Amino acid sequence: MTTPSDPFVFPREYYFPPFFTRQTNLTTHHAQLTKWSSLILSYCRHHRLFKISLSDFAEKDLFFNKQLNRRLSLSDIREVIDFMRKNDNRAEYADSDQKNGGAGKDGAGGGGGDIVWIYWRTPEEWASLVESWVEGTAQKGTVLTVYELTEGEGTRGTEFWGIDQELLLKALQILVKRGKAQIFGQEDSLGVKFF
Amino acid sequence: MSRKGIGLAAFDRSRLKSASYASHGSNLRSANASALETQLSVFRSLLQQFAATHAKDIRSNPTFRAQFARMCAAIGVDPLLASSSADGSGGQGGGSIWSQLLGRTVNDFYFELAVKVVEVCSDTRSENGGLIEVRKVREKIMAGRVEGAGGITEDDILRAVGTLKPLGSAYSIVKVGSKNYIRSVPKELNTDQSAVLEAVQVLGYVSVSMLMVNLRWARARAQTALEDLVGEGMLWVDKQSQEWEYWSPGFMLESEEFGVGTAG
Repeated sequence: MTTPSDPFVFPREYYFPPFFTRQTNLTTHHAQLTKWSSLILSYCRHHRLFKISLSDFAEKDLFFNKQLNRRLSLSDIREVIDFMRKNDNRAEYADSDQKNGGAGKDGAGGGGGDIVWIYWRTPEEWASLVESWVEGTAQKGTVLTVYELTEGEGTRGTEFWGIDQELLLKALQILVKRGKAQIFGQEDSLGVKFF
Repeated sequence: MSRKGIGLAAFDRSRLKSASYASHGSNLRSANASALETQLSVFRSLLQQFAATHAKDIRSNPTFRAQFARMCAAIGVDPLLASSSADGSGGQGGGSIWSQLLGRTVNDFYFELAVKVVEVCSDTRSENGGLIEVRKVREKIMAGRVEGAGGITEDDILRAVGTLKPLGSAYSIVKVGSKNYIRSVPKELNTDQSAVLEAVQVLGYVSVSMLMVNLRWARARAQTALEDLVGEGMLWVDKQSQEWEYWSPGFMLESEEFGVGTAG
């Protein structure tokens, strides 16, 4: 993954020690979850992270403020992820729905449910981005490889350039369902035709 | 002409005298009254003129507005009382002399501000339990303002909250220590809770032992006050310090400065 040179600016709550402790008051807790959710989304958007390993990230700056020596525990992180899943589908456990595919590709950490998709753009949103790009560049009816879409010169500068291939496929599947695209080919040389 | 005024004529004369005194008195009175009337009308037109010519200043210049409000207070006028007390008649007939005089500029300014205050309070209520510092409200409103819209002062916000009074007791100003807070939930703080909130202002947080040492409270008392405030959502708890610390959510907004300095 390419990491932009400018550092991510953490929001104010990141420097607020109780932010890392699960709040007992229900309303407060909800406010806390909302803040964490938007922090995770903007963090991943900034670093263009599409999926993260929870056990991995529990040690990274996102969940561990070394300056304050405060960290969000793994179980609290899971709670935030659950909150994001239920809220606008902003997260999804990667290994739960990939039973027949490449499950546990990078899942070297703890058992199941460690890898999580963070949808700062949902597959639907990616799908419409791709769709409007195809439309805008008049490529309806042409065949493009997935590689061309994610790494090709033609898509350089678009938002989905460098996107996780698996995520792109999720998005493309949505277009397929809508009858806007067709996917064919083998595992590692997939092609897409747009209508 | 007799100088001494003896005899029957003296009675007449005294009657005449008192009559002329009376008429003179009523002359004076009416002169006074008409003078007052003209003064009042002059004052009125001047105030009208003043409000008309300075309407922009009143809206945009906080010091000017503060002066104006002070002037109104000095002559016993509450420019805000005007329309809130006279909304029964509806249409144009409504509105007291002041709102008519001032062309609603002053009123509108505070009502619009009041709407913003309500917005800020309800936006942040879930994280602060409905208690927010006036200063924070001002910062938030200022941050959301378009450039050139003119500044607002804490005094303006206090007045704006005052305009919400007819809506019931939901919004009010609470003084804790030296700071003004806006309370947007209909709950009263007891004295222990106020004392804790005052203590929190110093460092941004307190702990049970800090309260025990500084306020000479028993452990149970400190614990109860803190837990009550956490229960109300007015404090956030940090369990990752040696002793649990209870933080004011208002400190979250200040943490930029905190992130840079505050060694401890």
